[in-house]
Amino acid sequence: MTTGYNFAYLNEQTKRMIRRALLKAVAIPGYQVPFASREMPMPYGWGTGGVQVTASILTPQDTLKVIDQGADDTTNAVSIRKFFVRTAGVATTEETEKASIIQTRHRVPEAALREDQILVYQVPIPEPLRFLEPRETETRKMHALEEYGIMHVKLYEDIARHGHIATAYAYPAKVNGRYVFDPSPIPKFDNPKLDDCAALQLFGAGREKRIYAVPPYTKVRSLDFEDHPFSVQKWEEPCALCGSTTTYLDEIILDDKGKRMFVCSDTDHCRKSQEKAA
Amino acid sequence: MSTELLSGFTDHARSSAEAFRVMLDAMAQPGRILPLTPDFAAPAPLFASTAAICLTLCDYDTPLWLDDSLRETAVIDYLRFHTGARIENDRPQASFLLCTPATAAEALAQASIGNAEYPDASATLIIQVPDFSGDRLTLKGPGIKDERVFTTAGLGARFWALMDENHQLFPLGRDVYFAAPKEIAALPRSTQIKREGQA
Ligand SMILES: [Zn+2]
Repeated sequence: MTTGYNFAYLNEQTKRMIRRALLKAVAIPGYQVPFASREMPMPYGWGTGGVQVTASILTPQDTLKVIDQGADDTTNAVSIRKFFVRTAGVATTEETEKASIIQTRHRVPEAALREDQILVYQVPIPEPLRFLEPRETETRKMHALEEYGIMHVKLYEDIARHGHIATAYAYPAKVNGRYVFDPSPIPKFDNPKLDDCAALQLFGAGREKRIYAVPPYTKVRSLDFEDHPFSVQKWEEPCALCGSTTTYLDEIILDDKGKRMFVCSDTDHCRKSQEKAA
Repeated sequence: MSTELLSGFTDHARSSAEAFRVMLDAMAQPGRILPLTPDFAAPAPLFASTAAICLTLCDYDTPLWLDDSLRETAVIDYLRFHTGARIENDRPQASFLLCTPATAAEALAQASIGNAEYPDASATLIIQVPDFSGDRLTLKGPGIKDERVFTTAGLGARFWALMDENHQLFPLGRDVYFAAPKEIAALPRSTQIKREGQA
């Protein structure tokens, strides 16, 4: 561990401010708490919001896992993991079961999470109404009044145009029957995992300066219509490596003749399934 | 300063991180009683657990109100020195209100509930309780699988009636920490509270 940094990089004043925001976020599930985001030694888009949340909840006893699109070995995940090894001296792991904190970009692990784990999401755009209403003062009002009509109109336009709801990522959901929120750009396949999850889920948006949360065992209902109920992505073939038919699969192009295969996006889960089968 | 000040966390960054994690877990799992035993002594009648919450969360941005029983010079000097927080006389202006069972209902009634667009602009109560035995409550809501039984003593019918009103205000409302000498628990505004014998 490098000395000269404060534990987990952020100074104590910044952590106090983020910690207060985190407690409010937990007390008001799905509500976006503003916070004074700090410059981090990495560019926006590299998960500076998630990094600030992780830095504010991390203790020396934690074991940290970082994933990007389900994989632990991408540049983004590796650099965030190294950052916390250097600044906080924490242990790291690639195994979901062994992690006490999991920071993620764009996926929820396939393995069911536990009460003693915390999932930290990196969020680019926290406001689900932003594409429909660019003014922050207006979206604040809509959340205050629970005016989510335009969200339903948008999804219904999808149905009119495509015959089904085409939104496949960052699919909006309602938390605890109150706030509509953006679960970050995870595939809608992952939305059901957020519902009634045993682990605390924290969301950090660095550029947009917002923190929000879903406490354990909280209702998260993906928006839908009676005649067009919410449904998740399905694949016609199993994972080419582990044979799973219940996981989120990535398409991999094998050659320029269009030969391709589908494999689990969650690399740790896929490896575990292969070991079990062997 | 009249007397020598007691110290705070010996290794602030690490110890406050550990304390915060307990506080976060308590808020995320309402009614769960968790050990919070910081490595320092606070000036009586302030518990070390209460002091740990204040030293982890409070600073010059968070006016602090104390009830008369906690408004001892040693306590005020200590909190001012270690947090930099302004000591507030007006309950509605405070971000954190430190109280005891006798003063909790009035503090709860007057503390800020935030506003419709910023429900986070609300206050947090820290109530010092002798222990977690006594009145049985059944809790429901976010952070609780099905139901959780929570017990605490000394808080009267008026306090629990106000807590019920507080929950009805959701997403507005105050959040509450209970601090016993070596343990804490929390009841955020999202928790539905039923007292024994209530329908
Ligand atoms: Zn697989």
